[in-house]
Amino acid sequence: MIFTWNKLLKQGILGLNARNHRYIMQYNSRHSYPLVDDKLKTKTLAIAAGITVPTLYAAMTTPHDLSRLEKALAPYQEFVVKPAHGSGGEGVLVIDGRRRDLFVKPDGRALTLEEVRYHASNILSGIYSLGGIPDQAMFEYRVRVSPVLETVSYRGVPDIRVLVFRGVPVMAMIRLPTRSSDGKANLHQGAVGVGIDITTGVTTKGVCQNRVVSEHPDFGVPLSGLHIPDWLTLLELATRCYELTGLGYMGVDIVLDKQKGPMILEINARPGLAIQIANQSGLQHRLDRVESIKDLPDDPKERVALALTLFGEQPVPA
Amino acid sequence: MSVRRVLFSPLMILVLVLSAVALGIMYMKVTVLHMPLMPEEFGEVWTVEARIDFAGRNGPARVNLLLPQDHAVFKRLDENFISRGFGLTIGSSGDYRQASWTRRRSQGDQVLFYRAQIFPEPERSMEVTDADREVPFPPIPDYQEPLASAINDVLATARSESADIFSFASRLMAILADEDDENVKVIRQSRPASQWPHLVTEILAGARIPSRVVSGISLRDDYIEQPLITWIEVNNGQRWRGFNPQTGDMRYPERFYPWVKGSDSILDTEGVRNLHISFSTSRNTIDQVTLSEQLDGRLATGFMNFTLYNLPIATQDVYKVLLMVPLGALVIAVMRVFIGVPTFGTFSPVLIALAFRETQLGWGITLFMIIMFMGFLVRIALANLHLLLVPRLSAMLIIVIGLMVLLSLLSARLGLTQGLSIALFPMVILTMTIERMSIVWEERGGKETIKETLGTLVVAVAGYYVMTHAALTHLMFNFPELLLIVLACCLLMGSYTGYRVSEVLRFRDLVGNRAQ
Repeated sequence: MIFTWNKLLKQGILGLNARNHRYIMQYNSRHSYPLVDDKLKTKTLAIAAGITVPTLYAAMTTPHDLSRLEKALAPYQEFVVKPAHGSGGEGVLVIDGRRRDLFVKPDGRALTLEEVRYHASNILSGIYSLGGIPDQAMFEYRVRVSPVLETVSYRGVPDIRVLVFRGVPVMAMIRLPTRSSDGKANLHQGAVGVGIDITTGVTTKGVCQNRVVSEHPDFGVPLSGLHIPDWLTLLELATRCYELTGLGYMGVDIVLDKQKGPMILEINARPGLAIQIANQSGLQHRLDRVESIKDLPDDPKERVALALTLFGEQPVPA
Repeated sequence: MSVRRVLFSPLMILVLVLSAVALGIMYMKVTVLHMPLMPEEFGEVWTVEARIDFAGRNGPARVNLLLPQDHAVFKRLDENFISRGFGLTIGSSGDYRQASWTRRRSQGDQVLFYRAQIFPEPERSMEVTDADREVPFPPIPDYQEPLASAINDVLATARSESADIFSFASRLMAILADEDDENVKVIRQSRPASQWPHLVTEILAGARIPSRVVSGISLRDDYIEQPLITWIEVNNGQRWRGFNPQTGDMRYPERFYPWVKGSDSILDTEGVRNLHISFSTSRNTIDQVTLSEQLDGRLATGFMNFTLYNLPIATQDVYKVLLMVPLGALVIAVMRVFIGVPTFGTFSPVLIALAFRETQLGWGITLFMIIMFMGFLVRIALANLHLLLVPRLSAMLIIVIGLMVLLSLLSARLGLTQGLSIALFPMVILTMTIERMSIVWEERGGKETIKETLGTLVVAVAGYYVMTHAALTHLMFNFPELLLIVLACCLLMGSYTGYRVSEVLRFRDLVGNRAQ
């Protein structure tokens, strides 16, 4: 026990107490939280700053809004319905296409307009929001999985988590939906987390339910050596969220679209520590190196370059 | 971080100041006021209760009860009356204190209570009572024949077989106990059996020996419906001694508490029927500090005015519980920050632990699990109805209370009295715990739910042991300044950035992988 403790400390594994006390409390100011807890607000801010996000088709707040649902959705063949305050992929409904009056889900099941409306009204009543407060329903662009990642995703869209500290990308992982996670990119529900070399964008090892895996549990394809396209654009996108939210310690979730490339899905002000397991490496030393630099560049591009030099060639100090 | 930086951080200074203040006050209390650091031996206090049952005659009623006299051996700490619609006056009747209940119209069955807390001073013995009082010699009563000669015969026999007043009295009563004796037969027929002790005092008066009838009860724990014992005390010119009027044994009944001395009857009524008086006794222990406080009134020192003993007893009891809650919170903080035990909600384990205090641990856990399980099933069923949050929570609260009523009825039916204590569980906490449990169930699955349920229980049990610890309870109540130390501990814990035990387990594979 003590032995493991010291080993972990040496490797710079960050614990929850340290994360909360040294990073979240020091670098994240409370008034920034609403910006990221409400996805609608995040989206509005991001659009204003010119950051790519899935296009918002409609947002509905009151049951009355839902009466114009049919009209609002008329131009779109496919879309996603999600709660503005949801977490962990709860309450997300994906519509893949239409068949006459019906809305078709990725698994082939068709819903009537009334069923879509019922789902939206559930979202409004706060079923999926934290603490059950009344919520808003967002209708937005349906992200199409990039062909590179298609072979490792079961039904859903994988997302890439980049941990950004003081505007510098520090560590990244990709979360792949599996059959047991029901197409959701949520590690708790059985999705696979795969570490990504932050300097190259190449995947390393995978972790599923706290166990190291080298192949996708559903498809059997290797998880390592996968090249994430547009890696530098993606890092820059994540980095720019620092200016957007002012959060010093955050997790940025990014999806890769077939046509539009990387786009910001959501931002987390209390990112979990599983990213260390996926990367088989601790955060502490990397955070210390960023913390030791007094003046960080204002330009996001320079900060990405800084990250590449900081965490490049030389291995993480032991 | 350097030692110097840690020691001189504002947090550390605050922690040190708080601890210093608390320890300083404590030191004062221990050295100057001699307040004990550990709970000392407990004093023995008895509750004696007289219960008077009677039926009214549909007219004015009066019940007079002689109250226990002040006594050298037994100190009366407190007394109270339950009068139920009767007017109560405390007056005196001769040497005695007397409670008088009156009512203009009384009908049907009535019951009145008198209750007193008494404290026997252990070092005093029964025999030294009233030693200072001069006792006059009683006049010789006038008897008619054949009673007069029978009594004279008995007195003469007793005198010839005894050496002093006490042995004479003892011998006399022993002779009077022999019912085959011709003289005794005559004497016994002259009065009803219930008057026997009074007759014995009269016979003793025939030899000019002062004696009196003493009525009292026997102090035995949880002894209810006991009768009044009548005993005889004889004076030899210097002191009184107790005798059994039936056998002549020179002793008092075991743990005898004399109610009144020398009076014919302790009860005197008007306008009532079916009169019945019974006594019950029970033993309580209270710690020495409380005892001395109650015996002597306030402690003299001004400093002492700030202790919790100045509060009314009922309020003191509340604070005895309340002051333990911070320790429960401390346990929770330790469990969460150092160990990482997952629980439903932050403080619900403390409140559950408080409920365990009342229900006893085994029953508490059983009842908690039953309610949680049943509530959980209902909650899962409710989930299908897609109810809005607040109405759903209200519905769950109603169902939880319903389940509690049901369990109480069921356990009453089965004769399990412990099951009744379920009413002491905080139902709002139960409802919220069930709610969180079902959310975890839906979002994280069964494994996580079981983990958090067990976590909640483990923390609650740990909290229970800490919050019911006798020495800790004593310390917190006598030295409430310890709150500052608990506060300091919480502040210190708030800046702990080390691992939780659960994290060492979670990340342990990382160690192995690096080593390859």
